[in-house]
Amino acid sequence: MAPGVGKTYEMLSSGARRAAEGLEVVVGVVETHGRKDTEALVGPLEVLPRKPIEYRGRVLMEFDIDAALARRPKLLLVDEYAHSNAPGSRHPKRWQDVEEILAAGIDVWTTLNIQHLESLVEVVWRITGVRQQETVPDLAFARAEAIEVIDITPEELRERLAAGKVYVPETARLASDRFFKVENLTALRELALRRAAQTVDDALIGHMRRTGIEGPWAAGERILVLIGGDPLATSLVRAGRRLADVMDARWTVMHIERPNQPMSPAEAGRAAAAFKLAEQLGASVMNLSADDLPGAVLQYANRNNITQLVIGRAKGRRWRVLFGRSLAHVLLERASGAALHVITDATPGDSEPLPRPGRRPSPTGYAIALGAVAVAVGLATVIDRTASGANLAMIFLLAVLITGLSAGFGPAILAAGLAAVSYNFFFLEPRLSFAIGHATDLLTFAVFFVVAVIAGSLAGRLRDQARATSRRAAAIGSLLTASRSLSAVATRAAAAKALAEQAAAAVGGAAVVLLPENGEIQPAASAPLQGDAGVKALSTGAMAAARWAWEKGEPAGAGTGTMPQVGWSFWPLQGLKARSGVAGVEAGLIMPGSDEERLLLALLDQGAVGLERAELASASAEAQALRRSDQLRAALLNSISHDLRTPLSTVLGAATTLLDYGDGLKTPVRRDLLQSIREEADRLNRYVGDLLDMTRLEGGGLATRLQTTDVRDVLGAAIDRVQRRLGKRTLARDFPAELSMVEADPTLLEQAVVNILENAILYSPDDTAIEVAAYEDRANVVISIEDEGQGIPGPELERVFDKFRRVEQPSDRGQGIGLGLAISKGFIEAQGGRIAAASPIHGDLATGLRGTRVLISLPKAIATHHMLL
Amino acid sequence: MSGRPRVLVIDDEPQIHRFLTPALEAEGFEPLRALTGAAGLAELGHRIAPDAVILDLGLPDLDGQEVLLKARAVYAGPILILSAREKETEKITALDNGADDYVEKPFSIGELLARLRVAMRNKLKAVGAEPVVRAGALEIDLVKRRVLKAGEPVRLSPREYDLLAEVVKGGGRVLTQRQLLTKIWGPANANDVQYLRTYMAQLRQKLEPDHANPRHLVTEPGVGYRFMGDEE
Repeated sequence: MAPGVGKTYEMLSSGARRAAEGLEVVVGVVETHGRKDTEALVGPLEVLPRKPIEYRGRVLMEFDIDAALARRPKLLLVDEYAHSNAPGSRHPKRWQDVEEILAAGIDVWTTLNIQHLESLVEVVWRITGVRQQETVPDLAFARAEAIEVIDITPEELRERLAAGKVYVPETARLASDRFFKVENLTALRELALRRAAQTVDDALIGHMRRTGIEGPWAAGERILVLIGGDPLATSLVRAGRRLADVMDARWTVMHIERPNQPMSPAEAGRAAAAFKLAEQLGASVMNLSADDLPGAVLQYANRNNITQLVIGRAKGRRWRVLFGRSLAHVLLERASGAALHVITDATPGDSEPLPRPGRRPSPTGYAIALGAVAVAVGLATVIDRTASGANLAMIFLLAVLITGLSAGFGPAILAAGLAAVSYNFFFLEPRLSFAIGHATDLLTFAVFFVVAVIAGSLAGRLRDQARATSRRAAAIGSLLTASRSLSAVATRAAAAKALAEQAAAAVGGAAVVLLPENGEIQPAASAPLQGDAGVKALSTGAMAAARWAWEKGEPAGAGTGTMPQVGWSFWPLQGLKARSGVAGVEAGLIMPGSDEERLLLALLDQGAVGLERAELASASAEAQALRRSDQLRAALLNSISHDLRTPLSTVLGAATTLLDYGDGLKTPVRRDLLQSIREEADRLNRYVGDLLDMTRLEGGGLATRLQTTDVRDVLGAAIDRVQRRLGKRTLARDFPAELSMVEADPTLLEQAVVNILENAILYSPDDTAIEVAAYEDRANVVISIEDEGQGIPGPELERVFDKFRRVEQPSDRGQGIGLGLAISKGFIEAQGGRIAAASPIHGDLATGLRGTRVLISLPKAIATHHMLL
Repeated sequence: MSGRPRVLVIDDEPQIHRFLTPALEAEGFEPLRALTGAAGLAELGHRIAPDAVILDLGLPDLDGQEVLLKARAVYAGPILILSAREKETEKITALDNGADDYVEKPFSIGELLARLRVAMRNKLKAVGAEPVVRAGALEIDLVKRRVLKAGEPVRLSPREYDLLAEVVKGGGRVLTQRQLLTKIWGPANANDVQYLRTYMAQLRQKLEPDHANPRHLVTEPGVGYRFMGDEE
């Protein structure tokens, strides 16, 4: 209940008892304040080392949450639940450390003074005059499975204080004298006991409800707390919580935004803070947008059976005044079946820490009003001189309208007032006086004033609404752009880049996207581009916050409860199925609860889905690649099975025929069998060579030795190698007398050409011609190999250089292994050349299309043979 | 032509024909060539049927199994299959589809011709025409359902005898596991290969001179069993 009652002592002695019973009890952190009896209790228990944290030149010894998580005791003792951690710790508050430890499945005992409970802060403040800075949200308190009240009488506590048994820091000694008054202590004691009783009651009611026992609880009470952007908002939330506790009722905190009255950043910040507090205190929160504030409230109240309405009445708050009546008045008149609680902000010695609300239109708006009316006065004076009798009131109306349209509602009303006064002063008889001479002029003035106010306010509203609409349109436009740019990307990296750019544009500052690589998140993209790699390096602290956001799936960094001092805010990117990364923006760019934040969050949602989509796409590409490689393996097996075994069958069959029947066979037959053995052995050798070449190409073990080469020499050698297989086909060569040298590997080039020639022989019938030509253009030497075979069907043309691809022939099946052209392509490209096929090249539709041309293009060597001369 | 038995070879590889033709001629056959499945089927349909067929299952125009089924529809003579060793299912399917035997590529010519002779002889004999089969010391009387080993009667259970008789009636031809299981244990047990293994082991214990190195009841791994007489 208060310092000095013996909480720590009690916790330690209970802990020691449990330890003696065999439970694994570890002290996470305990403040003994040098008290001997307390220290004696710590003695036998295992104590975790503290973590030194440097702050402003001092080293603070803080609770080491990581050590606790690593140690994993059954029960952890953590003193001072409400303690604020040193800046730079993972969490600002110790209760947040405890939350994480509980989440890890470790039981925790902790201590708490009643005045540190969030919902009681104001009550305590009113009683004692001391405002507690270190608070624990009621939700964190409600998590406790059991609470134990450490209670001694106020007199005893004061005695202990007098005897010096209570540790009070020097700095707080003055305040503490006031604090430790008997009345205060009695009040705190009552608060603590009531709170404990309430918890016991809650547990009892919960048990009765679970077991279906009818009980005395107040049924059906529902509380609605209406907050604005004023400083009263948090007080309203606390009041709502107290009411909810008393009534055991569900409660909702609602904020209504009026589109024609946008909130100032300060107001938005206060509303967001109140929302956060409401969530911590266990309320459901709700943000509505409506023009008719009382109407929206009552509609919600009726639909949701609200029985208790809590509203505030801040001093001098204009927006709660509707046509001269406060919101309270209107609700009182129109609400049915609900009790209305009006909370006023008259709290003793309240010093508003936040700046006064600045939601008024900027001074420029009022300057515009002033200027417009001044111009109107001048203009009217000129017109009055030149054309007497003109209706000057219209000029002032114009000024009011212009002010309304350009500066909004407030300035328009000011302009209306000014215009009426000026009109009266300068142009209504008697002039240069506020008096009004004629009765008709009085009427004119009155009507003018009314018209000016109405016109001005209408124009002002129109302009405010137009602004809101255009802001919304801009937001929607930016979302559309984002969704377009995000849906156009194919890879995670591109999606991250697009998201970073969109987020940076939305907040008007730096943004970064982090993606997991091998389980650790790393910055993947940032905007605007920074650093060598174009990705901004984050500080260690910022990375820790980002990692937290990634691991816990909760926002971290600036504006959150986790590591708020790192200078960045991070949000997890939650996709449809899983978390795909983390996005961060620089701190201070957006206000919590603002339109910008909503836009950013919508953007991040889209980004998360976009990232997920890109991940799926790349996964399916990988699966496809795998499937292709499986197909390739199947094709290879098939090739070895068929293409290698067929020649082997021939060799074995022919050899055994010779062995078994050799003597009985005629000489030409014997020669033919021997010939077939030789041919098939050649074929086998070629296949094995092809497979080895392909393996070299695939395995990346291909070393090219480029040298200045005369293509004609290579072509000659290649032709020599296939000469024997030509059969009845003719082979013509067409080489120019002078040809530039190329930079090539002669061995690889020769093999590539041989493969193409063998292919040409294989697919062209006897008595046709094969032509090998060479020529050059400006940069390249081109080799052309043409045959008059059946040609390659259109669809096959693109894939003719694929592995194990062969054009099936209806009769005599191709004898190739289907690797020749793939090897040629690999070899040519390894030398920096290109290869392509065209078909058909001969004949017409009447006589049948036929023929294939393969072109190899190689870059010329820098020194041409002309230069060598 | 004279009375030489005619053998149709259906294979798309000219190189195979190149050595099969002289080998078949030297062995006293008249070889007929077909380079595609369609040409082979035409040969079977139009002319006087050949005395035997050698069919390569890997054909460019038609699936080898399809050629086999179509051939079986019009032709009752022996059909020998050429197939790669690793394509076990292909061989089994071919045997189930009515092929008489198979030879694995690459093969020696002696092996092919020996298989061809066995297949032709078995087709010439009607099943059951030879009521008593002798192989080594074994004498199997298919009429009296009696088995003698070196003149001594061997006691066999009815199942064991049925299995032995079925293999023996194959006359050197491979019987697939499925064929034997369906015949003796019924279609419901067509996949219960362990029955076959157990009974075959028992039969070898009782009948083979050396059951670890069987001479008569020979396993074709992964395919089935065949009965070997004395001559091969």
